[in-house]
Parts: sequence; C-alpha cells; structure tokens
Amino acid sequence: MATLSTTEQLGQSPRAPREIEVPASTAWPFLLALGAALLFAGLVTSASVSCLGALLAVAGSVGWFREVLPREHEEAVPVLPEDIRLITDRRVVERLPVLPDQLRAWLPVHSYPISAGVKGGLAGSVAMAVLACTYGVLKAGSVWYPINLLAAVAYRESSRLGPAQLYSFHADAFAIAFVLHGVVSIFVGLLYGAMLPMFPRRPIVLGGLIAPALWSGLLYTILGLLNPLLASRIDWLWFMASQVAFGIVAGLVVVRQPSFPTRENVSFVLRAGIEAPGTMPPRESGENH
Amino acid sequence: MASDAITVPVGQIEARPWVDELHQWLTTVDHKRLGILYMFSALLFLVIGGVEALIIRIQLMHSHNNFVSPEVFNRMFTMHGTTMIFFVAMPVLFGFANYLIPLMIGARDMAFPRLNAFSFWLSFLGGLLLYFSFLGGSGLYGAGNAPDVGWWAYAPLGARAFSPGHSSDYWTLSLLVSGFGSIGTAINIIATVLCMRCPGMKLSRMPLLAWLNLVMGGMVLIAITPLSAAQIMLLIDRYLGGHFFDTQAGGSAVLWMHFFWIFGHPEVYILVIPAFAFLSEIIPVFSRKPIFGYPVMVAATVAIGLVSTSVWAHHMFTIGMNSYANSFFAITTMAVGVPTGIKIFNWIGTMWGGKIQFKVPMLFCIGFLFQFLIAGLTGIIQSCVPFDWQLSLSYFVVAHFHYVIVGGILFAIFGAFYYWYPKMSGRMLSERLGKWHFWLFLIGFHLTFDVMHIPGLLGMPRRIYTYEPGRGWDTLNFIITIGAFIQAIAILVFVANLIISYFKGARAGNDPWDAWTLEWSISSPPPAYNFATVPTVASRRPLWDLKHPKDPDSRYE
Repeated sequence: MATLSTTEQLGQSPRAPREIEVPASTAWPFLLALGAALLFAGLVTSASVSCLGALLAVAGSVGWFREVLPREHEEAVPVLPEDIRLITDRRVVERLPVLPDQLRAWLPVHSYPISAGVKGGLAGSVAMAVLACTYGVLKAGSVWYPINLLAAVAYRESSRLGPAQLYSFHADAFAIAFVLHGVVSIFVGLLYGAMLPMFPRRPIVLGGLIAPALWSGLLYTILGLLNPLLASRIDWLWFMASQVAFGIVAGLVVVRQPSFPTRENVSFVLRAGIEAPGTMPPRESGENH
Repeated sequence: MASDAITVPVGQIEARPWVDELHQWLTTVDHKRLGILYMFSALLFLVIGGVEALIIRIQLMHSHNNFVSPEVFNRMFTMHGTTMIFFVAMPVLFGFANYLIPLMIGARDMAFPRLNAFSFWLSFLGGLLLYFSFLGGSGLYGAGNAPDVGWWAYAPLGARAFSPGHSSDYWTLSLLVSGFGSIGTAINIIATVLCMRCPGMKLSRMPLLAWLNLVMGGMVLIAITPLSAAQIMLLIDRYLGGHFFDTQAGGSAVLWMHFFWIFGHPEVYILVIPAFAFLSEIIPVFSRKPIFGYPVMVAATVAIGLVSTSVWAHHMFTIGMNSYANSFFAITTMAVGVPTGIKIFNWIGTMWGGKIQFKVPMLFCIGFLFQFLIAGLTGIIQSCVPFDWQLSLSYFVVAHFHYVIVGGILFAIFGAFYYWYPKMSGRMLSERLGKWHFWLFLIGFHLTFDVMHIPGLLGMPRRIYTYEPGRGWDTLNFIITIGAFIQAIAILVFVANLIISYFKGARAGNDPWDAWTLEWSISSPPPAYNFATVPTVASRRPLWDLKHPKDPDSRYE
C-alpha cells in the first residue's frame, strides 16, 4: 500500500509527484446557484428579481461551460511535506482461541449436519409429548385433552369443542396436532442444530433453559392471538416443564451427533472443490500442506 | 501513536486577508471545504430551528399560555420542522458524506467538483429563501409572513383559498431549490463511490460509510424527485389554474399525501442510513474490533433502502384506505424493522468482547443504540393500524419521530463530529466539554421525549396551540419544556467546544484514534489534493494492515 507520503518518500520516491493538479476554484457554480435561487424568488417578490436571476443563471452556465470545455480548468498544487507515521501503541492483539493453526477464523468452526437437527427435534418432540400427556392424565384425566388444545392452534373445529368434548378422542384433531407438533419440533431442532455450535461452551444451558424461557415468554404474550382456547386453559408450570424437557433432550441429542468443520475458513477455490498446488496457505516453516 | 508526529502543511496556516479567505470559500470546489460549508450552514440552521423549538415549548409549558399568538405558533412549528429536516439534518449528513467519502475511498475529490459546489449553494440559498419569508412573505410591499401550513402542507391547506399571500410559496420554492441541490449531491455521491475508488478498493472492501452513503444517494434520487414534482404541481394549482390537489374540481387531496409521504418516509431512512454509517465506523474503532458481519451490514442497508420505499402510507392509515392497503403498509413497516434489527445486533456483536473505550464519540453511539431501539419499537407499535388510529396526530407520534431524529440521528451526528473534528481541524475537541455535552443532552433528551409520549397517550393532539387545565397535561408539558432547555444548554456547550477547541485544542495528529480507514493516513487537516500518491488497498482496514504487517486483514478477506 502507498498511503505514506513522508518527507523522505517525497524526496526519494519516483512515484511521489512534486505538484498535483486539482480542479481550480471557480465562482460560476455559485453564480448559477444564486441565479437559480433568485429566478424562483422573483416568483414571490418581483419580476425584476427573476430577471436578475435569469441573467446570473445564463452567465453562470456560460462561465461553467467555459470552465470545463474544451479542457477542464485545473490548478497545480505543490505537494507539501507531511510527516505521517502510521503506528499503533496496541501492538498486542488478544485473540479468541478458536483454531490452533489459525490466528483468525470465521465462526462457527464446527457445525452439525442437518440430520442432527432433525433427530434432535424428533427426540425433543417425544419428550415434550410424554410430559404433555402425563399432564393430561394427571391433571385433566384424559390423554386427549392436551392434544385437542394443541390442534386448536390451526384447526377451527377443535377451537369450537365444548368442555366435555375436549377430553375425548377426535381423529381429525389428533392428526393435525400430530403433524403440527412434529413439523414445529423438527424446525426448532434444526434451529438448535444451527445455533448450538455458536454457543459451544454450554449448549444445554442455551438449549434447555434459555431458549425455552425465551420461547415461553414470547408465547405468553401472543398465545391469546394464536390459540385463545389454549390460552384460557393453559397451565404455565407444566407448559414450561414440557418446553424445558424438549430443549434438554433436543440439545443433548444434537450435541452428541458428530460435527464437521465448516468450510468458511478455507478459500473459495477449495470450497469450489478445486485441488491444485498453492491453494493451501504455507505453514510457518515454509512447508506446503 | 502518531498524535505528536504531524506537521501541518505550511501553506495551510498562512494568514490571508479576510476578503481573500471569503473569496476562497465562495469559489471553492474542494470537497472538504464544501463539506465544512454544509456543516456550518447546518449548525447555523440548527440554532435557528432550536430557537423555534424553544418558542413552541415555552408556549406549551402550561395551560392557557399566550407567549406567542396562534398565528406565530403555526409559523414556528412549520419553520421548525422544515428547517430541521431540510436545512439541518440533510445538509449536515451531506457535509460529512462530502468530506469523508473521497478520503475514505482514496480519491482526490468528488466525481463532479463543480456540481458539488453548485449543489451546496442551491441548498443553502434555498434555506435563505425560506427565511426571507419572515420579511417578504406577502411580497415586497406587504408585511412579512413565514409559512404556517405545517411541514407537510397538506392539501387543501396549501391551496390559495386557505393560504393566501406568498408564505406557502416560500415553503414550496425553497424546498424546490434545495431539492435540486440534494439531487445534485446524490448524483455526485453515487458517481464518486462507484467510479473514484482507489486501486484495490473493491466494493467488498469499501468502508461501510461509503456503502451506506451509496444507498442513501440512491434513495435521495427516488424520494426527492416526487417531492419536487409535487411542489411544481402545487405551484401550478396556485398560479396557473391547475386542479391536481383541488378536490372540488376533480383533484385529490390524498394525491398530495401520497406524493409527500413517498418522499417523507424514505427521507427518514435517507437521514438515518448515514447515521448508521457513522456508527459502523466509530463503534469498531472504540471497541478495538472489526465490524461484525460486514456483508450482512451491507445487505441489511440495501434491504432497508428497498423496503423503506414501500412503507409510506403508514402515515395515512387514518385517511380511510381499504383494508388491503392498510395490511400491506402495516406488513412492510414491520418488515423494515428486520434489517434494522440486524444492524443493531451487529453493532452489539462488534462491541461484544471488545476493549471498549468510552470516549465521547462512543458515548454518543451507545446512546444512539438504546434510543434508536426504543424509537424503532414505538414505530413498530404504530405500524399496527388500530393502534395508529388511536394515536395518529397525537404527541405520541411527535415523541416517536423525535426519538428517531434526535435520539437516533442527532446523537450519531454528534458522535461523528467528535470523531472526525480532529481530522477536519487538526485539533482535538475537549473530552471534558464533550462529556458535559453528552450527559446534559442525554438528560434533556429523555426529560423531553420520554415524557412526551404520555400526553400523546392521554390524547394531546400535535400542533395544538394551547390547552385547558385539568387534563393531566400541565405537569408533563412543564417537564418537557425544562428538558428542551437542558438540551439547548447542551448545544451551547457543544458550540463552545467547537470554537474553543479550534483555537486551543490539543494537536490531533494524523491518527488520534488509532483507526483503520484511509482518511487517518494523511495529515489533519488534509492537504488540498488529499493523497500525495494514490493509495492501494488490500483489505477493508488498510491502516490495520500497515500497523500490523505480520497479521494483515488482507490475509483473511
């Protein structure tokens, strides 16, 4: 890079000029602007003001044209000696220990395959369903009760069920709740698979506690809109417990899957699958990979 | 550090007769001088617009006040809004863009230096024309009368029947004149960023400030042109018998609203995107970390630019649009919060784990982060149509808007002044006065604009001249006015700091903040030609590469 123009460089470098041409100062743009402003001002003051403005605008335009045609008017400015020293007093750079062989890296260094997220989501969904059904049996006396409530998120017929009907089996509601639970669980599992590598130190804290707490807090505010039936009958303690159960199980399953190194830290050439000499950076000893 | 290693070029400190000096400033085409002229004119109008705000606040300080007449009150809020948006916020941001972009991309000037001068003078003379209305609002032979139709000049209020004389014409013409200047500046910024970059500075290596101003330039072209068109149509209505906005002759008042807000809402982003640019340069330097998520920051800015052109009618929910239009504009308004949120996360990501230095520029940026977040949230709240129906045209909206403009944009502008003033003047601004400025302004701002939400929720309409006692508004308005005065004191401290530091401030050196972009590689203030030799860059942080030759960014980008 050649940003320095120290006294020595100016004296020695063949690249540093003695003079530099810059656009010459000119009054024509100012005159044209003044003319244009007066031209408009005359509309609300007096025609003579507009006339003066028009005159100045024409003069400014002509002057401006003559300033740039046939050749742009420039003036030579002598290059002045500058004593520039680009140094820092912060020589020591702290680094996060991300990779043993690299000073810097794109995070995350490792990630999980999509299948890990799917497996985690499905495992979490089972844990959550077991807890929800336990709640149904213990608190409501029917395993179908939480399933009917869940179906009411997307199924109008379920939201119209009377108090007695909520405790009985409905095939359509069961099918919808099953699909809904499975799909949402897989999506959340995929999210875990993507996010847990970014918080590698305490995955279970994130997956099992923080995420369920955030998710439950969000649902607390909007559940009345999403599912009024569920909102009117929900038991928040059991709901939170089932969320935590999902999070812990999904998190554990995801982190136990084999991870793979992300390819963000290698060059585009390598990511494109091209194998050729010189594509890997040399080691410090100078030896090539 | 190189703070004591600078020698100011001799040619720049030679005393000249003041007439010569004035001539130099009038005829200059140098982007740095024009940048300073933009900023100086903006500060001048800031003081004027601030005085108008104080008059408004004194009038509303308690119920049944008659500090000014209703007519003067109308002029004050019209002139305050118009001045602050068109003659303070835009010029100061154009000034920074003018000053910084060529320096940051390694260019010797803007792409069109003479157009640059022309654009500035149009903008400035537009402002003077607006204020000449106080003297000549009814023509040369009548009494003075400033515009009084609000800064939107909604139809039919702008029609001759409801706004006789010339006061509204001054508003129209001044915005038309300054609008041409803005378009010229936008063209110049776009051409400079696209065509004047130094060798090695690919788009992916450009400082974020240049990227964001490129987006801003494009938005100016999209937004200012309909406003200028509308102003011309209004003039035709008023003087040539046109009926564009005349509802009784087949025109449409709603058409004016669409024209105005197609300009008006992107205008908010035209102002805030350069403010984002300041944060994107300042926060990394004072966190001692590179910006987090550079490509995402660029993408988010472009996304904001695109989405923000399709949100304008959220200002018009109360006019009775159909439910499809309401839904569309509610959704797009909420959607624009997504890329904006991404940016806030990225700034926090930049600060996360960094060695944060709480210098004055950084303090203002941190203030921005909190306040702009709240401003965004109250904006999202109002994107819900039923909520907007309740609060439209109330002081809640005024509070939200000022949270964006003052709590967000103005804080970022102050941060930029403290950060780049050493480059422009060669002198450091006083940290002590800067901290007084920051804390006073922060306290005044929150006293004013936090509290202002409440009378809005209680039903206090905007632009109200005075009010009945016993509505629960008196104490709140009194607190708001006290806050406004504290802000005014803070501004005075800032202006004093600018002046005192110019003469007595510590020498800045070329790189007082140990920063990484090209402008810090040349002397302060820079020479007329900027760079003796045109630089070549190999990364987004060329000065980091120079300062850390064993670990340059170029190895990783």
